[in-house]
Amino acid sequence: MTTTMDPRIPPSRQREKPGQDLKWIGKGIRRVEDPRLLTGRGKYVDDVVLPNSLHAAALGSPHAHARIKSIDVSKARALPGVAAVLTGEDVAKSTGPLPCFSNPPTEQRCVAIDRVRHVGEPVAIVAAESRYVAEDALALIEVEYEELPVVMDAAEAVHATGDAVIHPERGETNVAIHRVFEFGDVDDDFAAADAVIKRKLRWPRSGAQPMETCGATAVFDEGEGKFTIHVNSSMYNYVGWLIAVTLGVPVHKLNLVPTLAGGSFGSKLFIHKVPVIAAVLARECGRPVKYLEDRIDNMTACDHHGSDRIYDCELALDADRRMTSMKCTVIDDYGAYFQFGIGHHGNALSQITGPYQIGSVKVDITAVFTNKCQQGAYRGFGSEVSNYVMERMVDAACAELDLDPVAFRKTNFIQPDQFPYFIPTGNLYDSGNYPAVLDKALDLLDYDGWRQKQKDALAEGRYIGIGLATCQERSVFSSTEFWSLNDEAGFALTSSPEGVSIKIDPTGNAVVSLQAPFWGNSPETMATMVLAEKLTIDPANISITYADTDHGVSGTGPGGSRYTVMLAGAIVGAVDTIKDKLFKIAGHLMEADTADLELRDGAVGLKGVPGKEMTIADLAMQAHFFRLSFPDEPGFDTGLDATTTYDHPLTTMPSEDRKDLGIYYPIMGHMCHMPVVEVDIKTGQVKFLDYVAVHDCGTMVNPKTLAGHIRGGTAQGIGTALYEEYKYDANGQLQNASFMDYLVPTAHEIPANMRIGHVETPSPFTEYGIKGGGEGGRMGAPPALAAAIEDALKPLGVKADFLPLTPAKLRGLIREAEAS
Amino acid sequence: MKPSAFEYVRATSVDDAISALSQHGDEARLLAGGQSLIAMMNTRLAEPKVLVDIGRLSDLSYIRVDGDALSIGALTTHNTVLQSAEVAAHCPLVSAAYANVAHHTVRNRGTLGGNLCHNDPASEMPLVASLLDAELVLRGSGGERRVAAEDFFVDTFHTAAHADEILTEIRFARQGAGEGWAFEVVSQLKGDYAIVAAGCRFAMVDGVCRGVRLGFVGAGPAIKRVAAAETALEGQPVNGATIAAVAEAAVGAVDPHADMHADVQYKLDLVQALSERVLKQAASRAV
Repeated sequence: MTTTMDPRIPPSRQREKPGQDLKWIGKGIRRVEDPRLLTGRGKYVDDVVLPNSLHAAALGSPHAHARIKSIDVSKARALPGVAAVLTGEDVAKSTGPLPCFSNPPTEQRCVAIDRVRHVGEPVAIVAAESRYVAEDALALIEVEYEELPVVMDAAEAVHATGDAVIHPERGETNVAIHRVFEFGDVDDDFAAADAVIKRKLRWPRSGAQPMETCGATAVFDEGEGKFTIHVNSSMYNYVGWLIAVTLGVPVHKLNLVPTLAGGSFGSKLFIHKVPVIAAVLARECGRPVKYLEDRIDNMTACDHHGSDRIYDCELALDADRRMTSMKCTVIDDYGAYFQFGIGHHGNALSQITGPYQIGSVKVDITAVFTNKCQQGAYRGFGSEVSNYVMERMVDAACAELDLDPVAFRKTNFIQPDQFPYFIPTGNLYDSGNYPAVLDKALDLLDYDGWRQKQKDALAEGRYIGIGLATCQERSVFSSTEFWSLNDEAGFALTSSPEGVSIKIDPTGNAVVSLQAPFWGNSPETMATMVLAEKLTIDPANISITYADTDHGVSGTGPGGSRYTVMLAGAIVGAVDTIKDKLFKIAGHLMEADTADLELRDGAVGLKGVPGKEMTIADLAMQAHFFRLSFPDEPGFDTGLDATTTYDHPLTTMPSEDRKDLGIYYPIMGHMCHMPVVEVDIKTGQVKFLDYVAVHDCGTMVNPKTLAGHIRGGTAQGIGTALYEEYKYDANGQLQNASFMDYLVPTAHEIPANMRIGHVETPSPFTEYGIKGGGEGGRMGAPPALAAAIEDALKPLGVKADFLPLTPAKLRGLIREAEAS
Repeated sequence: MKPSAFEYVRATSVDDAISALSQHGDEARLLAGGQSLIAMMNTRLAEPKVLVDIGRLSDLSYIRVDGDALSIGALTTHNTVLQSAEVAAHCPLVSAAYANVAHHTVRNRGTLGGNLCHNDPASEMPLVASLLDAELVLRGSGGERRVAAEDFFVDTFHTAAHADEILTEIRFARQGAGEGWAFEVVSQLKGDYAIVAAGCRFAMVDGVCRGVRLGFVGAGPAIKRVAAAETALEGQPVNGATIAAVAEAAVGAVDPHADMHADVQYKLDLVQALSERVLKQAASRAV
């Protein structure tokens, strides 16, 4: 294991070392979640059916920016079957603004007051005997609007004044924040550069599109004055208490109960509007209320659109063709609200220089308000965009300077012996072996073979391209990035913990309580495998539950590819506690020193003495029921369980001047994506001929589920690169708020023969050396595809500086190239 | 996304359906596979007062050869047509086009008749019906009549069927042996509506094309067959010069509109490219 004397790096807290002989970790066992999910027995939010429930619907604003002059709900209230109709003003009597993590906060209400700021923003909510009646009631609500100037263009938004200012309470501007971060001597490096490459790049607004939308069923117990809300959100054991603040009740008067989430990909990171709407109506009506977004609600107002950026980028190279510095000016269209501030750029800055040795970097960030749905989280959380930018700049350098893209990358890579490695922003990369990943991908693909096929095809007039992207996958976020980029830090929390409770029952079986929901990932499989490994018990004897906030402890949940690493840390800690107790009991019963005991195959045994052992089941029975067999010391008190919270394994504070952001996203994965595509130059259509993805996520817990992340993430990356974009018109109408018009790739559009490879470079800082891998292919596929398409069209000189590269857009580029 | 209230009538026979339609007039809509209508009702773009469900009229689901025609019952599902050996044998153009019609689950429920009566301008099957000189058999309170495809597809979402009529059968002209034909689609996702699709068929007689049928989807709101392009090929051999002439005629005659996925120039490029491709492919099939 790596030891370092660098005083900036805290000592490793790793307890379980990589490279052990492991029984479960590393095996591709089938997901333990699957039997019930695949047979339709999973309980999703819509499966929460409470007696006497009402159903809610929200009237979305038809205008992107308008003052609400009046609302008449009398006809809606009079409709038979309607229990309540509430306007923003009605709601505000009991309920405050929604949680917001930007500083200063940007006030958002679950139902708008006075002003609407994007199409689909709720202006009134209804609870009725059925969703049908609720929607009938919506049609009867009469709202008079006074339209305000609509701001849709991010670059123009910077200059908006007067009525076009969307949040006048934050000042007379639509610039939500403007900050320049500089790390190292950028000016000197550019002055000394032998070549400077410039590009303007466009990353389009898309979204996660989970199959299940956001939903909640809320109950208000008038006797206890307490809410219970079943919701498919994550982070409920982290920041869920803020919902109570919004609802105006003490935090202990809210119990958030997680349900399975039918996909999130980030978009259910922290759902606030939906549970608050359900809760407000439940309190009003004295009956349970279910509110489940429909697809239009979700696409227009889910509060989780993805990044939407315009980059002006410059890359400096020296005479040896080493990259020395990079400058980016970025405008990011955050939409109508600003719930997470520019945390997305914190993500980007954690790996802004990619896998390369680049000594300095400057980023000029302007976040603007426009009349679109606000940004939230989507797989990558903004770092996927900087991967795209970095790789596009690398490809631009190779194209302009006639360099080989493979050799250029190898020259510029951080080398395996340079880890742990600080990048200019102050973030640390814990470990890596980038040449090994690239070599494995080249080999898996048969790169040279495809180059030959490419030549042969061109001779027949066919345009084949080979893409290459070597990208970072930062994992295990630290909460310092929530505030470190703010002008004023604000709520400067420093922990994003993950707890776990493990109870061994009297028969020796285990129940694990997670503090985060099932999110479409594999938390039960991960917990089962790590616990089985650590406690040497059979996975079949482990069951997993999800704690609500009443019974849970601190838990941040999935996000930033953190969950497996954090859960493993918590489980290792909890099992160590349980193990101590098992050893104490066994030592007493076996009359052995606890130092001479070991766990082996579901039993505690005397080291070096086969057959001399007691099973965990026997010891558990003792622990639960036979207190009087043991000494009168607290260590023998009844029970066999542990609750442990694991904090971030490696994080430090930023410097006051933010010339050093500190270590905040150090568990660094890496990937190499190599698609081979054929472009039909007459129609602009792109067809996959091959696809190889090699990932290094440290020690793999389960190659099967990891491959699922890679494949699924790649599919989403293909969506971003070729198909997906929220299309707003100049009036702020979302033109493609359905899957008929918002195109998500299906099985037909993703490569059938995608091949996945793994390299394992363990982390020296996490248990077993695990790194995160949840954001998978979406971090690498977009730049790889842009490169592949550009490579295919190299004979025509086409440059692809924007996404999505739809057939019409691509054909347009080809047409222009043919004409010139 | 829930429909407004409606009255539901389950028709037990064609006559029963016609009687319900006659009774309710414009306020009633027929429900076949429901793959377009239900989505429109859920978004309240369609709010029929009465829904007449003909889904159980199994006698309207059949495929049979009937002289020079291939007759398909209006309630035959897309997948049944797609998988039919008889259709592949007698109207291969239909099978080929169907490879790109909708997604599997939609094809399981959606019906040929429902699709044609919906007459979505982005749908492939109305063009196919036109190319195959289909006759559409309509029954209503006034009895049965046959309408040629050219007359049936009046305008976007509008057909010649009267409010009290039900489409019972589609009679495609059987394709002749040795006929040249082709159908090409450009859509972003397989199974989605086409951005542009092109289809053609002709008989090769003494080295020249006869009975040319050539048309497009996505080339203009109500454009299907394009007479100028057909004329440019009629009596001509298929070669580089005639292909260019046909494509030029097609591009000159169509009137595509921009939409969120494609600008006009792109659609014209596709009309050009697909004209060339279907002619080449059709010629390679013709004997």
